[in-house]
Parts: sequence; C-alpha cells; structure tokens
Amino acid sequence: MAEAVAARTSEMKRILVVDDSSLVRLYYRAALEKSGFTVEQAINGLEAMEKVLSEAFDLVIVDVNMPRMDGLAFIAALRSEADAHIAATPALMISTESERQDMLAATSAGANFYLVKPVSEADLVKHAAVLTGASP
Amino acid sequence: MPLIKGGGKAAKDSPKDAGPAAHLAALKSTDADARWSAARALAGQASAVPALAEALTSETAPRVREAIMTALMRVGDEASVKAMLPCLRADDAGVRGAAIEALQSMPDAVAPFLQFLFGDSDSDVRLLATELARNMPEAEATRLLCALIENESHPNVCAAAIDVLTEVGTRDAIPALEKCAERFATTPFLPFAAKMAIARISGTEA
Repeated sequence: MAEAVAARTSEMKRILVVDDSSLVRLYYRAALEKSGFTVEQAINGLEAMEKVLSEAFDLVIVDVNMPRMDGLAFIAALRSEADAHIAATPALMISTESERQDMLAATSAGANFYLVKPVSEADLVKHAAVLTGASP
Repeated sequence: MPLIKGGGKAAKDSPKDAGPAAHLAALKSTDADARWSAARALAGQASAVPALAEALTSETAPRVREAIMTALMRVGDEASVKAMLPCLRADDAGVRGAAIEALQSMPDAVAPFLQFLFGDSDSDVRLLATELARNMPEAEATRLLCALIENESHPNVCAAAIDVLTEVGTRDAIPALEKCAERFATTPFLPFAAKMAIARISGTEA
C-alpha cells in the first residue's frame, strides 16, 4: 500500500544515490524504482558532483564514508554551488555512524535529514517521498 | 655512509634538495607548504617514519596529511601501518578515508594487523577494517572476512564485509554468507547483500 501511494506521487522524481558500495546502490535503487522514482548512481562525492552539475535531481542520498570525496565534503560542496537551484537540492545522508556528533556534522554540512544504516526499504522510500515532495 | 645523506652543495641550494635533517625539522614548521614539501621529500625513507608518525597525529591540513600518508605508504613497513591505524578512529571522515586508501595500497604490511582490527571493540573500526582486505590475495581475504562474519554481531560490519567479499570472495565464502543471511534474516539489507554476493561469486548473477 505504501509503495502504491509512493508510486502515484513519485513519478518523474529523480534521485541520485551516492555510495561506494555497489550492493547498497543496488538495494536503494531497487526499493526506490519499485516506488516509482527514477534513480541515478555515483560511487563517490566527486562523481556525484559531476552528475549534479550536469543533471537536475530532486534528491541526493549520500553515504558518509567514501573514497576520494566523502559524503560530508560532497554536501558542503553542493551547498556552495553558485547555481542556487543546484545548491538547494535536498540531501538525505545515510551512514553507519550513529553518534550525535556525526548527525550534527551532517546537518552542519547541509544534509536535510540523517538516517543510520541499516535502513529498511520502507524508511528509505518514506524519507525519499517526504524530501522530494512526493509525499501525499 | 650516513654522511652522504647530508648532501653536497646542491643540497644546500634549495629546500627541495635539503638533507633529511632539514626535512624532519620542516615537518614541524608553522608553514603548511613547508610541511607538505618536507613530507614529500621524506617519502619512502624508513628512518623518517617516527617523525612522520608524530607529525600525522597533529596535522590539520588535508593536503599535508595526505602527503604524510603517502610518505608512509611508500615506506610500506609495519611501523608505517602502525602510524596510520589511529586515523581509522578519527572523527573526520576525510581522515578516515585517506587512511583507508593509503593502507589499502600496502596489503602485505596490513595483513598481520587485520585479525587484530577485526577484534576491535569499536564497530566503526571493524567496519572500516573490512576495506583493508579488498586488495589482499582472494583466498586470504576470503578466510579473514568469513571468520569475521561468522561471529560478528553488528549488522553494518557484516554488510561491509559482504560488500568486500562480493568483489574478492571465492566460493569458499558461500557457506559463511548463507549463515550470515540466516542470522540477520530480519535485518534490512543483509539478506539482500548476501544473496547478491553469492550470486556474483558463483557466477549466477542476473
């Protein structure tokens, strides 16, 4: 039922999933596409920056620990973008780090919300729907 | 022989060609450029590892820190590994990431430490340590990671280990992956990850 509702409201919403784990990307992609979202992927912050500068996204879902450019650095760079539309892209940070200081670091960098792994499909879809405005 | 390291005329002419003593002193400079140059000049010098290790503990400039890690990486011995392991506990994700990348490039030197790291009381350290098996020989990586997931209680550590096994695991990993999926049957993601890992390892991926 939740999937059906999300599918009705999430049509055409584009989400960029940024995680160095191919398994995590697959898991998120399967859950989000099942609910009607369109999903693109990046393996680290650098690749994600290239994508957000060339395509518009309604949400980026970002891991913290990644090689080359970590999630916090990526979100900080995103928020610093000169293009206000790109800079305002909602960001959902998902990490294994569960300490309060980690969540504060994420929100300080500019994340709109923070989830701690492991994340269920239902939680992922629910937060994606809220942050993209696809929520009924 | 060590006297030669002091350098001749050329060594006195430019900081770039200064002797090891000057570079060691420059590691403590207040100028980040000088510290960066010193770290680069000391790359691969085993005798500089203690000074590089000490510098790493207090370095705040990312590019200098990376230069220090690269210098240690080029030495690639046990002392170099020991110098970088504390970075796995850093609050800064950038420090942790840089340490992982440096340590991954020295798999032989890291191997003796892996079992110790997999027994660390901090689940974040155990999780990050799984990444260090990624560049190890497949059989050894499989053995160590399977031993980890057979007893590991934290789902995120198992998930990280499964992620590495997906890339480097051999068929010997399949029983441990199946058991892990059963043990965490109600945990989001893990049964999915184990199933995908088994499919990739066994060549039956859709």
